[in-house]
Amino acid sequence: MAAPCSRMANRPLWRFITNVRRTGLKHTGVRQISLSSACRAATQTRSKTEGVPSPWKLYGAVCLQRLPVISQERNPIEDQFAELMHQMELERSLLSDHEQRLLEDSERMTRKQADNYDSDEEEADYGGQETITAQDQEDTWEQKLKHFQPALRDRDVGGTPLGSVERCLGDSLVLLVQQTVGKETIWLLPQAQWEAGETLRQTAERGLSSLPEADFKATFLGNTPCGVYRYTFPKEVRTERCVGAKVFFFKAFLSAGSASQKEPFLWVKKTELQRYLKPPYLEKVDRFILNL
Amino acid sequence: MQWRKLRASFALHSRVLDQAGLLFRASVSVQHPIQGSLAFSNERQYRTMPTHGIGKYKHLLPKEAPKKKKERQQMKQIKTATDAEYGTLNVKVSGYDMILVEHYSQYIHNLCNRLGVKVAESYALPTKSTEVMVMPEQGTKMYVDAILKTHERIVQLSQLNATLCPTFMEVLLKNQPEGIQLSVKLHTEADYQARFKARPELEGLMAQMT
Repeated sequence: MAAPCSRMANRPLWRFITNVRRTGLKHTGVRQISLSSACRAATQTRSKTEGVPSPWKLYGAVCLQRLPVISQERNPIEDQFAELMHQMELERSLLSDHEQRLLEDSERMTRKQADNYDSDEEEADYGGQETITAQDQEDTWEQKLKHFQPALRDRDVGGTPLGSVERCLGDSLVLLVQQTVGKETIWLLPQAQWEAGETLRQTAERGLSSLPEADFKATFLGNTPCGVYRYTFPKEVRTERCVGAKVFFFKAFLSAGSASQKEPFLWVKKTELQRYLKPPYLEKVDRFILNL
Repeated sequence: MQWRKLRASFALHSRVLDQAGLLFRASVSVQHPIQGSLAFSNERQYRTMPTHGIGKYKHLLPKEAPKKKKERQQMKQIKTATDAEYGTLNVKVSGYDMILVEHYSQYIHNLCNRLGVKVAESYALPTKSTEVMVMPEQGTKMYVDAILKTHERIVQLSQLNATLCPTFMEVLLKNQPEGIQLSVKLHTEADYQARFKARPELEGLMAQMT
């Protein structure tokens, strides 16, 4: 992981309370994350240092991730192992209450149907007949199970477009945006230029909120950036004042969001990143995106 | 006095004679060596004997602190947050499936050990049973459909580094199993007191006193 930015070390810390719930499939296909922050003191803005400003332009970028909604598919090996373990546990297990009840009921039935059945003795032992036997309960439960229809595991049978948030529900996706940097339009993580008097995290938040036609509610975890990418401008653009730019990446998780399915957005898995990002950029970004 | 001394000296001499006799017996009859050694270990040597205190070893061992009675449970100090680290955090894992809840809490604990985050405590809260009552369309009486048990485990972290926190949270969130709720909160004294059982007699007596 890249070392934290020196500016960050002096910021007061934000204590936060996070509540994360993993509920069933929702329409948005997004995990709910709610956050309430309590800061110890008002954020102090650092006074601008006097003297020559540094020749690097600063950008704050956000790596917005959508967490997986459903569990991943198992490998064939994992499948076999799970079955084996299940069978072993079944063979080693003891009878549960319900199963014992079933056995007792069946024994009672056989005793009733036997010739030397003494009903008084039975009544005395069991103290009155139970109206619902365990077998009846099992039947009712099976009936209910038949009525239950589980939702389909993977909705994009037809192949949803790359811009959809509900793409691969078992993996975590990263948001890519097409922006103009210099002369070319390239795919990159959403970023904004740093202005004096704000923290880099606020820059990243601004970069996210300034995206056209999209409102993503993101939860940032912590003030520290997770990565940095430094590049120098090509010789024509380079002046004395700005030699190049440094981009600081912050991680955030999507809590609720809706975006119109327009061109500029892409939700991609880590393996698909290399198709869209430039190699030096990809090298740095790859380091902090976890493929879990 | 003298008579006593005489008697003592006589006893001493007789003892010496006894030992001499024993030795003699031992040297003569080797068939009963056990008897001889047993006789030796049961007898403590007199103070003037050179072998006095021959079997002593306790004075050679390091001194142990005297064993105290168990003191009343005190609350561990709740640490406050500094600029670089969070204070005492409670990571609460709750869900209906006990196997998943326990395995996930164990995973969190092991992850903290590996990453060097100090785990102050790791405990379980009592299980809460929820009865699901179903009301049929025709009748008015509700009957019990199922009993769902909610299990909760808490892993208490003491010094989580602010630089490590985003990665740590990300790993936790990406490995969250199905049906498990994860919640990270600051530890308060109210949380600590909630773990204890209420003592109605004590409270009654306290109310009577005041």
